[in-house]
Amino acid sequence: MHEREGILTRVNWPGLATIALGLAVWEIALRAGLAQYQNLPAPSAIARGLVEIAGSGQLYADALHTLWSVVVGWAMAVTTGVVLGLLLGASTTLRRYCLASIEVLRPMPGIAFAPVALLLFGFSLEMELMVIILPALWPVLVNTMGAVTGVHARLFEIGQTFRLSRAETLGKIILPAAFPGILVGARLSMTLALVLAVVAEMVGNPSGLGYAVVREQQAMRPDLVFAYVVVIGALGVILNAALTSAVALPTASGRLREAT
Amino acid sequence: MTAESPDRSAAAAPDLVFSCRGVSVELSHTDGPRRVLDDISLDLSRGEFLTIVGPSGTGKTTLIRLLAGLTRSTRGTVDVNNRPIDGPPEDVIIVFQDYSHALLQWRTVARNVALGLEGRLPRGEIKARVDEALRLVRLSAHAGDHPWQLSGGMQQRVQIARALAVRPAVLLMDEPFAALDAMTKAALQDELLRLRDETRSSVVFVTHDIEEAVYLGDRVAVITGAPGRIERIVEVDLPKPRDQIVTRQLPRFLELRYLLHHAIGQTEHA
Repeated sequence: MHEREGILTRVNWPGLATIALGLAVWEIALRAGLAQYQNLPAPSAIARGLVEIAGSGQLYADALHTLWSVVVGWAMAVTTGVVLGLLLGASTTLRRYCLASIEVLRPMPGIAFAPVALLLFGFSLEMELMVIILPALWPVLVNTMGAVTGVHARLFEIGQTFRLSRAETLGKIILPAAFPGILVGARLSMTLALVLAVVAEMVGNPSGLGYAVVREQQAMRPDLVFAYVVVIGALGVILNAALTSAVALPTASGRLREAT
Repeated sequence: MTAESPDRSAAAAPDLVFSCRGVSVELSHTDGPRRVLDDISLDLSRGEFLTIVGPSGTGKTTLIRLLAGLTRSTRGTVDVNNRPIDGPPEDVIIVFQDYSHALLQWRTVARNVALGLEGRLPRGEIKARVDEALRLVRLSAHAGDHPWQLSGGMQQRVQIARALAVRPAVLLMDEPFAALDAMTKAALQDELLRLRDETRSSVVFVTHDIEEAVYLGDRVAVITGAPGRIERIVEVDLPKPRDQIVTRQLPRFLELRYLLHHAIGQTEHA
């Protein structure tokens, strides 16, 4: 009982009202002939499209593929980014040698590598993962590196006075102290991974939600194109919420707020 | 590290924990190396409470970091248990002034205190040691709290408990009470003296507060100048246990206080 009340009060009613208003204006403008586009479906048509793709079962296969690519690509990007970020954060020498390369590579729009990935791996999942991992790596790497260099020198001295080994210092001091920064990188990377997966599916790997959008566009079904776009948006919201709540679980006491 | 020279080991007394001979320290600055300590010779006996007092900028912190194995000497020798120091020595724990940076903010009080014991003792033993250390600093009721939920004085007690939990032979304290209000400070001073009596640890305590140095110490080393030198070492022949009101009104306390003020002031005006 109490739980339900909590959820109801947490819902942003004014925010939802704005969205509803936008949809209503869209619907009315089309029906009243105020806006005339051949291939712009009304929200009601998109809703019917959603029901259609949900009913055919195609939606689940497509969504599952994209979800799988995003999660796998993101996990690989986070793992690689955290390891590289820790190494770079820990070693001044390594930073001196690598920082210039990072600053050159990082601002490059990662999606520009898509044709290269296509040449290397063909129309495949590997191609899609490469397109996801390379750009999604940077936010994690840079944030982890920044978080490690930002760990207060005092904490390292605490590790020394208690004669902690290198592994203990990493596990008990550096990683938890850098955790909030790593998390920021991981969340940025998650958002990026979804965008990249959809684009990779549009231009390369012919499966998943991104391909579905292109497929329905070629089938001249704008209502289904929009329905799939809605699904992609929902997937983004769900992934972000899942990550946020997974992190909130062990930090419910509010330690994250104070850890920096 | 080379083997210790025979004359030095022969001269070393067995009950000395630390022995510094002619120690100088230079720290690198943007404008090249700067000498922070000059020709320091100082001993710490087992069970002794040595306070080091001096104005800021005289290298007090560098001296205690030297003993903690966090800073290296440029010249001279530092021996710990009759062997040349090489990194942070076993059974020597330093307690820092800035408790908020020294505590692991993501860990509970109990888990902070357990830091030096994890992986070295069985679980049950760790719990017993943590409970004991928290009892000693009167924080048993806050074992499950996080540091940021505690007051400054309580956080500093967590840091002290964490040091005590490993049962160190020597406790190095770098102005541990400097950031605390007068009442908390007095309470912690008495707590520290009581803990020393219970644990039999040796203590090196750095402070810029002359009264604190006299009240706590068995001996007071006065450090002055830049680079810092030991100006004088004074035996504190005040009765124990010390008492915040009685001890501080003893003529001998006032005498010692005057003596130390004079020792510090002399070089400041020279």
